[in-house]
Amino acid sequence: MAVSPLSSFKLDHSFDLAAQVRSDFPILQRQINGHPLIYFDNAATSQKPLAVLQAMDHYYRHCNANVHRGVHTLSNEATDAYEGAREKIARFVNAPSPQEIIYTRNASEAINLVAYSWGLSHLERGDEIVLSVMEHHSNLIPWQWVAQRTGAHLKFIQITPEGELDLEHYRSLLNDRTRLVAVTQVSNMLGSINPVQEMTELAHRYGAKVLLDACQSVPHMPVDVQALNCDWLAFSGHKMCGPTGIGVLYGRRELLRAMPPFLGGGEMIADVYWDHATYADIPHKFEAGTPAIAQAVGLGAAVDYLSQIGLEQVHAHEQRLIARLLDGIQRIAGITVYGPKDPARRAGLVSFSVEAVHPHDLSTLLDEQGIAIRAGHHCTQPLHRYLRVQSTARASVYLYNTLAEVDCFLDVLAEAVEFFSAALS
Amino acid sequence: MPLDNLRGLYQQVILERYKKPHNFGRVDPVHRHQRGHNPSCGDTIDLTLQLDPSQERIVDIKFEGAGCAIALASADLMADAVRGRTIPEALQLVERFQAMMRGGEEFPREQRALNAMKGVAQFPVRIKCANLAWHALKYALESPEPQADGSAFVSNENTD
Ligand SMILES: Cc1ncc(COP(=O)(O)O)c(C=O)c1O
Repeated sequence: MAVSPLSSFKLDHSFDLAAQVRSDFPILQRQINGHPLIYFDNAATSQKPLAVLQAMDHYYRHCNANVHRGVHTLSNEATDAYEGAREKIARFVNAPSPQEIIYTRNASEAINLVAYSWGLSHLERGDEIVLSVMEHHSNLIPWQWVAQRTGAHLKFIQITPEGELDLEHYRSLLNDRTRLVAVTQVSNMLGSINPVQEMTELAHRYGAKVLLDACQSVPHMPVDVQALNCDWLAFSGHKMCGPTGIGVLYGRRELLRAMPPFLGGGEMIADVYWDHATYADIPHKFEAGTPAIAQAVGLGAAVDYLSQIGLEQVHAHEQRLIARLLDGIQRIAGITVYGPKDPARRAGLVSFSVEAVHPHDLSTLLDEQGIAIRAGHHCTQPLHRYLRVQSTARASVYLYNTLAEVDCFLDVLAEAVEFFSAALS
Repeated sequence: MPLDNLRGLYQQVILERYKKPHNFGRVDPVHRHQRGHNPSCGDTIDLTLQLDPSQERIVDIKFEGAGCAIALASADLMADAVRGRTIPEALQLVERFQAMMRGGEEFPREQRALNAMKGVAQFPVRIKCANLAWHALKYALESPEPQADGSAFVSNENTD
């Protein structure tokens, strides 16, 4: 099942992206509790197109060997596939060089890498790390540890009543002690898109480094690390049509070279003696041990798949879906929506709560109709506390979701709310 | 209507207890205090118990917290079921409830109100909601030191 040729993808509003791509995703054929699956939990992880499954299957059937460790044919092919994927990923985010693309297990590991390697060796008592209140736990816990060990302080950018990052407040937090700004480009709870290019420029004026959590942006919209001018960028393969077990850290070359290694072992060395060692150049310095080769190959195929479609196209499609979803959901009595109300200022996800109905109960009702949404705190407990809500429900879309699915979701949601209001009134 | 097969899960008793719990609050004085939570969803139950002077019997039990209909109704029904019981009797009820969640037998006459929760066993992802309060109760009763401050949470996840 090949991807449709590039030429068929033009920004055209009469053209429905989902109709073109749905058949690429075998799992979308599933029935759940007797209903066609409506998968609206894409912010947690995306589904995988056949092209990705086939690339991994082909790798294991035909090229499997360890990388960088043999002179035999298979090892050479495995190495080419592994490094070839790195080149694709570099092009995908417009990194100047594939050397600046480090494979990790996921975005969390990528952020931990920066925290342990750069954070612990570069930060001191009194230094300041600026985060935002909307950070995922993955971009919070590692910095709590760095702060505890180094004596650095954490500062948190607040959000506006609309649920967007408060730029004025951000400006007021920056000063000569600011060493790092680590923020998410798109909030996985609020759906807001942060002005990270402007934020990076402001941080650099104070000599601070900038790490962007791009977990919710890279899969859904064009991201160009040179245009953003960030110092590091982290994302996960599994949220962008790729497999689990592979994530990416982009880092500026000179910065990565100056950072000490994170994990030690095979692959990351140059010369090893009994009592010391010298290390390989980047990116391998940060890739100790046998890496996730098949997963890297799978991510390479995912990048090919998304590139052929075009990320502008994906973003435009999601905006259409989310405009309909936002509009419809606000018509249901008793629902509170978090984040910007203007769909143009949002990514393809909406978190909401329903008066007197717990998200778990709601999620069970939707699941009964084949609809998968997320219920809970979405790894943003402090943000939920900040918004004074214990937990929320979240619907998140991707390129294969349709307007018909949005309408069905809205109908079932209204019915579920009705079921509870009737029972509880 | 399409949601009809959920009536087995959301029994009227569960919805009523969720809406108007009988045992919401804190006992006074507090002899045992235990907080339980499900970290992945953030639901919490704050249990307080009052014991008789010999520390053998539960005189009163109440709960506070935030959670779904299943978690809160289960806590409320639990409080009714264990009030007046000795500690070993209450621990037996905990065992029995957790067994019912794994598909085990219903409760006999005396505690049949708890059988309203039986439908949860058909929804594997919701079992931890139903077990939350029971798990906290087990901790409260088994801790060797009578705890009154109960500031630490016990996690109900990855334990069974
Ligand atoms: C904004 C954001 N940051 C970080 C993560 C963590 O990603 P992973 O669990 O793949 O490391 C996620 C996904 O859950 C996310 O949405």
